[in-house]
Amino acid sequence: MNIADLPLISLITFVPLVGAVVIAFLPRNQPGAIRVTALVFALVSFGLSLLLLVGFNPTNPNFQYQEVHDWIPVFGIQYKVGIDGLSALLVVLTTTLSWISILASFRPIKERLKEYMISFLILEVGLIGVFVALDLFLFYIFWEVVLVPMYLVIGIWGGSNRIYATIKFVLYTLVGSLLMLVAILATAFSFQGATGSWVGAFDFVTLRGFAATSGFAGNLQVFAFLAFFLAFAIKVPMFPFHTWLPDAHVEAPTAGSVMLAAILLKLGAYGFIRFALPIFPAAARTFGPLIIVLSLIAIIYGAIVALVQPDWKKLIAYSSVTHMGFVTLGIFIFQEQGLQGAILQMINHGLITGGLFLLVGVMYERTHDRTIAKFGGLASRAPVYSAAFGFFVFASVGLPGLSGFVGEFLVLLGSFAYNPWVAAIATSCMILAAGYLLYMFQRIFTGELSDFLRGLGNHLTDISPIEMLTVVPLAALIVVFGLFPGLLLHMVQGTVTTVLTELNGVSAIRVFFWQ
Amino acid sequence: MSWADLATIAPLAAAILVAGLVIVTDIVLPGRRVPALIVSFVGLAVVAGLVIAVGAHPATAFAGAYRVDDLTTYLDLLFVAVIALTLMFAPDYLAARDLPLPEFAAVLIFALSGVLLISASGDLLILFLGLELMVLPGYLLAGFAKRDALSTEGAIKYFLLGSFSSAIFLFGLAFVWGLTGTTRIDGVATALRAIVAGSTPLTPGLAMGLAFLTTGVAFKIAAVPFHYWTPDAYQGSPTPVTGYLSVVPKVGAFALILRLFVGALGPLSADWDIIIVLLAAATMTLGNLVALTQDSVKRMLAYSSIAHTGYMLIGLAAWSSPNSRIEGLEGLLYYGAAYAAMNLGAFAVIAALQRRTGISSQLESFAGLGRREPFLAILMTLFLLSLTGIPPTAGFFAKAYIILAAVQAGGPAGILAVIAVLNAAAAAFYYLRVVVYMFMREPRGEPAPIFLGRLMRLGLIVAAVLTMVLGLVPGLLLPIVGNAARALTL
Repeated sequence: MNIADLPLISLITFVPLVGAVVIAFLPRNQPGAIRVTALVFALVSFGLSLLLLVGFNPTNPNFQYQEVHDWIPVFGIQYKVGIDGLSALLVVLTTTLSWISILASFRPIKERLKEYMISFLILEVGLIGVFVALDLFLFYIFWEVVLVPMYLVIGIWGGSNRIYATIKFVLYTLVGSLLMLVAILATAFSFQGATGSWVGAFDFVTLRGFAATSGFAGNLQVFAFLAFFLAFAIKVPMFPFHTWLPDAHVEAPTAGSVMLAAILLKLGAYGFIRFALPIFPAAARTFGPLIIVLSLIAIIYGAIVALVQPDWKKLIAYSSVTHMGFVTLGIFIFQEQGLQGAILQMINHGLITGGLFLLVGVMYERTHDRTIAKFGGLASRAPVYSAAFGFFVFASVGLPGLSGFVGEFLVLLGSFAYNPWVAAIATSCMILAAGYLLYMFQRIFTGELSDFLRGLGNHLTDISPIEMLTVVPLAALIVVFGLFPGLLLHMVQGTVTTVLTELNGVSAIRVFFWQ
Repeated sequence: MSWADLATIAPLAAAILVAGLVIVTDIVLPGRRVPALIVSFVGLAVVAGLVIAVGAHPATAFAGAYRVDDLTTYLDLLFVAVIALTLMFAPDYLAARDLPLPEFAAVLIFALSGVLLISASGDLLILFLGLELMVLPGYLLAGFAKRDALSTEGAIKYFLLGSFSSAIFLFGLAFVWGLTGTTRIDGVATALRAIVAGSTPLTPGLAMGLAFLTTGVAFKIAAVPFHYWTPDAYQGSPTPVTGYLSVVPKVGAFALILRLFVGALGPLSADWDIIIVLLAAATMTLGNLVALTQDSVKRMLAYSSIAHTGYMLIGLAAWSSPNSRIEGLEGLLYYGAAYAAMNLGAFAVIAALQRRTGISSQLESFAGLGRREPFLAILMTLFLLSLTGIPPTAGFFAKAYIILAAVQAGGPAGILAVIAVLNAAAAAFYYLRVVVYMFMREPRGEPAPIFLGRLMRLGLIVAAVLTMVLGLVPGLLLPIVGNAARALTL
């Protein structure tokens, strides 16, 4: 049997689900077996996703590895999955961070391990599903599937204020996503009205084609785009919809934070690039400038707020707001370097912030405190740990040669072409980023060993080999993508060209009086 | 009356016979639970078989007063299933409280005969007869725990407001009969069409009739502002009865609405649709907002069932727009089935918790359930997620379908779609609060383990499987729902 005949995408998506079912039948008193099973299934999914990359053909502009099955034929709803360069990268990012997160949870999670691993594997199913779904209905289902395990992960294994944080997370997300459901149905109905048939009404490729040829009516585009925008902007999160993020991050267990920062935040940006821009191009042009302004606010606001955070994790959470601001900025300047940069920034932010949260978790295991003021001089007691943390900090600052630099640089390049003022504002923020990150690094790692740390005595050990194992792959990728960004650019070029070609043909709809 | 007429009403006759047989069994073998249950379940299976057999050939009987079509078949099967599930959930609960099971089963099956009559009505009087046959056993069931003050209080409220609304409803019927000269549903529709074609504004008499009828059914489905009896009746009733009350009389009343508003009063839809839109908006919003503040899960689910009434009304509002006649009805009918599975399931979990007497339905009783009783907690989570409308559950697909119909209808119904999803997001808060207690809070003290009877366990699994299947493969039910919806519009 040929590899090409396998339903590779479905396998990658549902192998973790099989793992979850297997774990459900494992006895509770064998934590070792539960841990290993979870890791094995995550690794199988990861291995399969690498196969996906091997067989991927970047020059083919169509969706590859497509699987199409009728699901609800009355409405033309299909189980349709497939990948292009963008989704391929995000799928691999998901499978990579999933096994890393599971590995990183081995020691910290002792309570209700079984439920934890089941939640994590189902979370992985939902995340991969979102990135591969090519049917809007299917996409929505995976989108919502993500919500429940994350809700449980924060709510059960989170910090002291976890219930407030998790309910806030769910309510924010649901408001956006349910309006998106209305928009999806309205779009499908509008398509059905125009073509007289439900066939393809939920199929992304058909809808994209329809948008490019006849286009959806202006009113529908405006309404549907706004609904999609709300759903995605909450997920990204964009200013002013970001307030759930710091709470969720601070309360979530380490692996939960990692998945949240590295993957869940990408869902929104992915949604913009995959669905909102190609299906509603005119509306996207209409609201583009507004979103650019919001992105700039997010970039500056996130950085300033990060500067004054007393909590280690919260600081990194706000830095995510800034970094994701670069992503939305890059997307909505509708320009090649900008979009390339945005996509690169998505991947790199996943790697870098994922690494930072993992490392914060490593130290939290030892100190059970994250107040920056209590730390100091850590480098003298945990040199390897400090070096590793420093590496990720510099990657996050955007040191050339590491991958964080490339994405932001491309976005800035693109925004300069769009409007020098936008570029000027965004660039100034990179200085702020250097400020809050290095200031944090200095306070925690340099100087005299603080009394708090000295009080911990022998508990304060350096990073262990297993913990190292969780961050080394990320660090390696950061170096590789920093030195050879072409690897990524090559993969996503097809996506970038397709999206921009569709946008270039249309002009904005008059909604505001100044247009 | 001919033999063919009798054959057509066979399911109805069988249901009444089965109820009688259950009573006879109880007389012959007094107080024995198992024989009564066996008679009930076999009897229900026979009724279901007859429904399918008769439904294969749509027909009318008794000169059009009784009418069997695909809608009848669909609703009848749904009701038989709900009654069977209720019978699975009840024994444990009743036994713990020394309440007689055979009587319970007999009353329940008598109620079934009422809804069977509603769904097969071709005549407004038959419709009313069915309505009364459906609700009278409901009053008995609500007060079934007759030594419990709350149960009695709920039953009396239910009875008083129920009779009151039945009277209002009958008053409305009289107006319609007086102005159209007939009580046959298709006759009324024809007469109304002629009246509407003649003059655009409604005559005062018709307007009165319409107002009374709307008020009457609004009471029955517990639409805001006619919902006040619901929370007390639901909270006071024995929990398995609450599950029953939240599904059968409600979906039964929706069957009545379909026969009455769509079948008979359809020509007036331009006059009643805005009322339905307002009722739907008020019902789902108020139901959800009040549910947010409840600490008793039973009462919370009572208010949530009011909210679900609102969602179902959207289907009716969508029907009144020519864009989405079929979709509106399909959505409503699908919602009925999904709602039945998930709501019965949720109440059954509470009933299981309360198997030991003295356990309240307060949120506290759910604390730590995830650790104590993983089976119950996981099922409850599934039912609650479905009630919230999270995919891939039945509740999600049903809600999506209703919203699709509303979007298709456009106009005021389109606005309802947006109101509905905002409501669904708010509702997530109180549904998930139960999940929070089950998985994220520790119980006070050391609650005793819960023993689940075999029937209870089976019933819960059936409800859970239905909740999943209706969400994952809606294609199974859609053609049936489609036929049912078309039977009504043709």
